[in-house]
Amino acid sequence: MRRAARLALVGVAVAAPWLVARVAPGQQRYVVHVLIFTVLFAALALSYDLVVGHVGALSLAHPAFFGVGAYTAALLATRAGWPFLADVLAAVVLAGAVALVAGVPLFRLTEHAFAVGTLAFALVAWIVATNWVDVTRGPLCVTGIPKPVTTLPAWYWLALGALGVVLLLYRGMTTFRLGRALHAVRDNAPLAAAAGIDPLRYRMLAFVAGGALAGGVGGIYAHYLSVFCPEEMTIALTVNLLVIVFLGGVGTLRGVLVGAVLFTALPEVLRLAPTWRLVIYGALLLVIVIRSPQGLDGLFRRAASASGR
Amino acid sequence: MLMDVLEQLVHGLTLGSMYAMVAAGLALMLGVARLINFAHGEFFMLGAYAFWYGYRQLELPYAVAGALAVAVMVLWGLAYQRTVIRAILPRSWHVQLIATLATSIVLTNLAIIVFGTQPKEVPTALSSRILDVGGFRMAAQRLLVLAGALVIFWALHRFVTRTRAGRAMRAMSQNREACAVVGVDVQQVALVTFGLSAALAAAAATLVSPLFNIFPDMGTGLTLKAFAAVVAGGFGYVNGAIAASFLIGITEALAGSYLSYQYKDAIAFLVMIAVLLWRPQGLFGRRLGI
Amino acid sequence: MALLEVRGLVKRFLGVTAVDGVDLTVGAGELVSLIGPNGSGKTTLFNCVTGYLGADAGRVLFRGEDVTRRPPHRIARLGLGRTFQHVSVFDRLSALENLLVFLQQHQEESVLARLVRTRRVRRLEAAAVERARALLDLVGLGPKSDAPAGSLSYGQRKLLAFAAALMPDPELILLDEPAAAVNPTMINQMKDHILALHRQGKTIVLVEHNMDVVMDISERVVVLDHGQKIAEGPPAAIRRDAGVIEAYFGR
Repeated sequence: MRRAARLALVGVAVAAPWLVARVAPGQQRYVVHVLIFTVLFAALALSYDLVVGHVGALSLAHPAFFGVGAYTAALLATRAGWPFLADVLAAVVLAGAVALVAGVPLFRLTEHAFAVGTLAFALVAWIVATNWVDVTRGPLCVTGIPKPVTTLPAWYWLALGALGVVLLLYRGMTTFRLGRALHAVRDNAPLAAAAGIDPLRYRMLAFVAGGALAGGVGGIYAHYLSVFCPEEMTIALTVNLLVIVFLGGVGTLRGVLVGAVLFTALPEVLRLAPTWRLVIYGALLLVIVIRSPQGLDGLFRRAASASGR
Repeated sequence: MLMDVLEQLVHGLTLGSMYAMVAAGLALMLGVARLINFAHGEFFMLGAYAFWYGYRQLELPYAVAGALAVAVMVLWGLAYQRTVIRAILPRSWHVQLIATLATSIVLTNLAIIVFGTQPKEVPTALSSRILDVGGFRMAAQRLLVLAGALVIFWALHRFVTRTRAGRAMRAMSQNREACAVVGVDVQQVALVTFGLSAALAAAAATLVSPLFNIFPDMGTGLTLKAFAAVVAGGFGYVNGAIAASFLIGITEALAGSYLSYQYKDAIAFLVMIAVLLWRPQGLFGRRLGI
Repeated sequence: MALLEVRGLVKRFLGVTAVDGVDLTVGAGELVSLIGPNGSGKTTLFNCVTGYLGADAGRVLFRGEDVTRRPPHRIARLGLGRTFQHVSVFDRLSALENLLVFLQQHQEESVLARLVRTRRVRRLEAAAVERARALLDLVGLGPKSDAPAGSLSYGQRKLLAFAAALMPDPELILLDEPAAAVNPTMINQMKDHILALHRQGKTIVLVEHNMDVVMDISERVVVLDHGQKIAEGPPAAIRRDAGVIEAYFGR
């Protein structure tokens, strides 16, 4: 994307709360709330795309890291009075550590077993969150998580800042030599080994980085909602992330961002109940993965090359 | 003390029978059609609801309601095969996994919308009848489950070894390309396999529903355990999947009783991961074929 | 000290002994061909030597160092390059990037260096690009350097894989059927490249079925049958060896 266009986009993103206040003054609270969700989901989806799109590991464990991060931040804030930045950082570190420990055995499994193993791991995490009532209060959720900022526009810029950090890391990891190494492992792991690249090392790198970032987003999410429940880390989250990533374009920055925007904006436009939302997302994911696995980004690119641009 | 253990073993065998019937269908699809089906647990779930509907709402006799459930699921299986499965069969397993995962979510949530989240109960004459064998008590239904499972596995074995369709299935599981060359209709065989898997799941649902509650997201955990059994049994090897299923069932029952009821599933999954790490090719080695 | 030494290598699969106690010694600068009927264990031997398969018994020594059962990426970094029987490239990367991948691991140590673009790393990258372009020109793929590898023809991909293996300037190069499934012009091209490498002092071991190529360029030929070495010597001697003839035709 050209420099000017990119800067303009960033400008619009930053100025969004003011623009919304001008365009739809009565709806400002609601729209900004949706925007916050969009930004957080975009960050989460990017962290997931590192694993699925760039190193090619079909992990279904992401909700576990999101949950670990959220609970870490929530508990440190409510039980030990930690400040926001500190507990979010702790969330990142702990989620990354869990990813490291889980990744070692999981990556020893072959492809199919890996997917099943990560799914099992996510389920185990949910079971622990639901049943370890002494710590997580189970279905009663962790409540009263303090908010570091109070106004919605402030939250929006905070979330945008977090997205900025994730974006920087995402770009850093997926371009230049590191990106090349990850893509080599994704496309042809035995050949990568012949080139001196250790597939396990790079898979773990993406997995741990993705998990750590997911934990950070989880921590911020918990602070924003003031409440965090085990229901936030079920398989529904994995499906949501798969929809975003595959709808937009797996392995592409632009695609994932587009997917996140569509994914969070659509249901708000359609005003659906959660169950119907999932039915539609499931159906959408089904159609997309069959018809256009490269997502919308792939469609755009094909259209662009067809029109000779 | 012994009574306790026996009771848990019986419970484990009941669970194992259920998992085994579901896993056998999954293993068949994997072995014969090379298909990863993450919506498999939903066969069971829908079969259970179909059985509930027949038994409670239509007030059909037990056997008839069961037959209805099986018939409905076979039809559903065939419909699903002709639409979704046809499209994803030639694709990579990533596509298959995501597509069937999406289907699973759609079905689960549709079930919530149609049937509500309140669990349904289907008590039958046998589930309320308690057998007393020298001080050891258990619901008569459990005996039916075990007996039913054995009969079904025997019938499956006969089908696969004695019938033409079964032979075609075995051939396909070993060498798909060769099958097309010698004139085996690959699509037909896939269709039959699918219908069979659906029937197995529905049969399991009919046998087991009287003992447990029916709720919309019961399929997810079941799919996972079935996959665990299939992978641990040696990808696509039906007998291995059956054996591994019983292992999972018994582990779950014993862990649930002696370690922690709430964490029993977590323990079962961790044990499964441990088994895969110890023997990555599965308990019985990577075997194809039925 | 020989550059590569294989001592009593054994590899079994499900009851079949694919490699049955093979000894092989390759001195620096030699050009050796490994031949034998289908299923004689040639590629299995290659895979054991390069770390893709774990040997059940025996040892592999590279420059005197025991590398038996080491993972492939570690062996590659010691200076051992290879190509694959079924041509293997990174389809989604460009031809140029394919080559760059093969050098970057040899240039610096830390992951951090791969993330942060310091001046030193930028210089290394520029050097890598220069070398890659030179190699692409050498094999005639210069105009295709930005094309995705998946869009190249089979023969072009073979040349690309060959060039990629040469990127880190390995001492020992193992080529798995370089002349297979390509037209005669390409075969001659391959022969020329291999001989050029040989003149530069590189050590080369080929697995090959094409007897013309083998007899034409090899200094020494090793024959495997049913996992065992049945003959070894200069091409002329092998051509006349009764045991070899029987292995190929006497079935």
